[in-house]
Amino acid sequence: MAIRIEKTFQVQEPLESVWKFLSDPKKVANCVPGAQITEAVDDRTYKGVIKVQVGPSVTDYKGQVHIERLDDENHEIEIVGKGQDVRGKGSASMKMAGKVRSLADGSTEVVSVSEVNVVGLLAQLGARMINEVSNKMFEEFTKNFKARLQQERPQQSTPQMPPSTGSGATDEPRPIKALSLVLSVLGESVVRFFRRLFKGSSS
Amino acid sequence: MLQKTSPEIGGMGHSVKRKEDLRFIQGKGTYVDDVSLPGMVYGHMVRSPYAHARLTGIRSEEAKKLPGVLAVITGEDLAKAGLSWMPTLFHDKQMVLATGKVLFQSQEVAFVVAEDRYTAADAAELIEVDYEDLPVLVDPHRALDADAPILREDREEKTNHIFHWEVGDRQATDGVFQTAPVKAELNAFFPRCHPAPLETCGCVADYNPATTKLTVWETSQAPHAHRTLFALVAGLPEQNIRIIAPDIGGGFGNKVPIYPGYVCAVVASLQLGRPVKWIESRSENLQSTGFARDYHMKAEIAADRDGKVKALRVKTLADHGAFNAAAQPSKFPAGLFSICTGSYDFSEAFCEVDGVYTNKAPGGIAYRCSFRVTEAAYLIERAMDVLAQELKMDPVELRLKNFVPPDKFPYLCPLGWSYDSGDYKAAMELALEKIGYSELRKEQEEKRRKGELMGIGISSFTEIVGAGPSHTFDICGIKMFDSCEIRVHPTGKAIARMGTKAQGQGHETTFAQIVAQELGIPVADITVEEGDTDTAPYGLGTYASRSTPVAGTATAMASRKIRDKARKLAAHLLEASEEDLEWEPGKFFVKGAPSKSKTIQEIAFAAYTNFPAGLEAGLEAVHYYDPPNLTFPFGTYICVLDIDKGTGEPKVRRFVAVDDCGNIINPMVVEGQIHGGLTEGLAIAFMQEIAYDESGNVQGGTFMDYLIPTAVETPNWETDKTCTPSPHHPLGAKGVGESPNVGSPAAFVNAVVDALSHLGVKHIDMPIAPWKIWKILKEKGISE
Repeated sequence: MAIRIEKTFQVQEPLESVWKFLSDPKKVANCVPGAQITEAVDDRTYKGVIKVQVGPSVTDYKGQVHIERLDDENHEIEIVGKGQDVRGKGSASMKMAGKVRSLADGSTEVVSVSEVNVVGLLAQLGARMINEVSNKMFEEFTKNFKARLQQERPQQSTPQMPPSTGSGATDEPRPIKALSLVLSVLGESVVRFFRRLFKGSSS
Repeated sequence: MLQKTSPEIGGMGHSVKRKEDLRFIQGKGTYVDDVSLPGMVYGHMVRSPYAHARLTGIRSEEAKKLPGVLAVITGEDLAKAGLSWMPTLFHDKQMVLATGKVLFQSQEVAFVVAEDRYTAADAAELIEVDYEDLPVLVDPHRALDADAPILREDREEKTNHIFHWEVGDRQATDGVFQTAPVKAELNAFFPRCHPAPLETCGCVADYNPATTKLTVWETSQAPHAHRTLFALVAGLPEQNIRIIAPDIGGGFGNKVPIYPGYVCAVVASLQLGRPVKWIESRSENLQSTGFARDYHMKAEIAADRDGKVKALRVKTLADHGAFNAAAQPSKFPAGLFSICTGSYDFSEAFCEVDGVYTNKAPGGIAYRCSFRVTEAAYLIERAMDVLAQELKMDPVELRLKNFVPPDKFPYLCPLGWSYDSGDYKAAMELALEKIGYSELRKEQEEKRRKGELMGIGISSFTEIVGAGPSHTFDICGIKMFDSCEIRVHPTGKAIARMGTKAQGQGHETTFAQIVAQELGIPVADITVEEGDTDTAPYGLGTYASRSTPVAGTATAMASRKIRDKARKLAAHLLEASEEDLEWEPGKFFVKGAPSKSKTIQEIAFAAYTNFPAGLEAGLEAVHYYDPPNLTFPFGTYICVLDIDKGTGEPKVRRFVAVDDCGNIINPMVVEGQIHGGLTEGLAIAFMQEIAYDESGNVQGGTFMDYLIPTAVETPNWETDKTCTPSPHHPLGAKGVGESPNVGSPAAFVNAVVDALSHLGVKHIDMPIAPWKIWKILKEKGISE
């Protein structure tokens, strides 16, 4: 199943630092819940894993991301990624176009358009929920993104880890708990439903 | 006319309680998963998550290292033995385990065997398979486009087109359409659905290296055909293969084909010399085994202004999935779909079907129907309603005007079938009376004035069952006769064995009733046994409502052979001539001297203890019956429902089903069959679809998405019957198990469309989930 996700958010940071952060896949990967870069193949291609937990079963997508286009001048980036579950339950691929621009108040706007295609068990079971699940994931991503960007500010001279040592420098990825995401999404739809219901009866 | 037997004998027409239920309701049946053999090991299937992908590598080293793992079999391994492909039941072949590429999600890729089920499942997760995804073809309408990916690289023909099939007179039909004053057109999709039997498929394969005998316990509706195919495909001597179909928890056509899991279990057992059990999970069953329907149909009716139908034109695109694994007679690529003129007297008709491959599970089995009859009945019954709407005529009036009249039977329809008997008007009138049709129409009018939505749906279907006459019907070359062998024991008890195999139909009772009817031996004294190819006579199995029309007759004929011999024995015992003896169920007596008689039990004893010189000992017979024609059961179903304008939910208020299946063997069993079939029809109409997304992901692969009706959803069924015996069946019976599944979907859909017809709604495709109706109400601005 293919889904298109368009997201826009603002960061209270100057454009250049946001762009620097966004154009570094290792840093961005650390903001994606459950994801981790394990190896740099070249300066534009990275291998990585992402763990997604559905109930008791953990899906490990193993794959690689590649920066198709990096436009420092216009602050645009295009990334393609592809991963396969190591237990053969499916795969996911993604194409993401990101763009940052300065806003009048000095903050920075990040716009991303992603096309994600999920194949296999997750696509079978999660079909109805996947949009809302991705919204939740994105929410978490934004939160991490902002937090990590902020962390970087006081210590801008932090040396970059050599790409090949990969995982040693980063936090152990925690799996995304799709089920708990689903539950919280469900919770929200229930609340929305009741809100509509009562609104309907009172009007 | 058949002589009525006493309740003690319990022949035809008695509602004898089902003998098999005693063990079923106590949980004492023996299903395939209950079979446990010493040294038995377990198989687990590794399946493809992709709908279409190149298979570039399988790494199983990690799996093989897991303690308890005995073997991992891949397509390449099978290829070495020439077994990576197997023939389907319909002029095609399918992969047992994938080689080269996979063609549907959940396709079988590797088979792991381990000491226990858990280890086998864990090991399956350790097998790494590399795939390169290929463009996926989901929409059958795109299958023949120039830029569509060619799915079957193994075939010489580089096309996704499987077959074109047509029947009827195209030119004459087109001619009628050119001048017809009224035309109605319906485009309807009968969605892919799945029989979803309570018990999934599975087997225990046991190859004994010492005796070189292979025994396979298998969920098979056609054990003999499976034995022959195993012999032909695997090259094993047929006498060394024994297929045993134990108790089966529902089949509905799903258990007719041979599945890759069976073959893998057999190969593993041959390799390991140990019994190998393989049982499907629910999702595996829904996602990879025989689906049904998936017909994109167009029907056009040409008619007079007064509603007399003239011609029918049908064009259908059939989605067969990755392999053409349809289970139907060899000469009929679209099964008996050409029964689509239904109960109506068309002068011309033309029907064409094109089959295509897509990246979906293979199948096209007859789900509780006689090979695509459900699709045909749905199409014509829906199309008649569209015509009625076009003509602004009551659908009942339109049907009554066009029924084949009783005096036209045997009726040769323009598509070539010879209907044996029918009285469609009688069934319709009884249904109308039971439901109170004219009052309901008045009520509907009033409700419409108040803005309420109520619909009445009618379906006056005709079935075609009991395949079939050997001149036309065969599966993989084996003619579609069926058989019965009866042995009467010295004490007058008997055992009867058939080539059929019940999956819940109640054969142990109804076939015993046929023997009871013919021989007067009480039902309680007769054992019916099916499913063991070492003991039962050869037959083609149970599907397409063929058991009663074919094996039922074989049972009657075998009984009659026994009665003929019993007459000789009775003449000997009574010292009378055979001609002077008269039969009444259970005994022969001398004409004019009823006290001079011998019971069947006395005669049976004599067959072993006191038989005349020149007569063979014993009392047994076997009969292979080749029917002269099919049988054509029919009926009228009427559904009344109300639609909730807030939720779009259609609520079935009443459902009357009048069936005519000729003479009835056991009224209670027939009623049970009708209840079950109507419930399945309800599910098909409102709840079920095996859908695929654009990447070929199955969207109905679990019971979370593929809904099974419970007592909550199921309305009260009101049943009744008329009786028009089959003139060519020795018992006048017709077969009934599938009628309710064939006839009811149109009644439900017609009722929903009828409820919305005044809003301009002409058709809604199944499954009619509440959201579909709600969307329409919203568009029309009348949702609440």
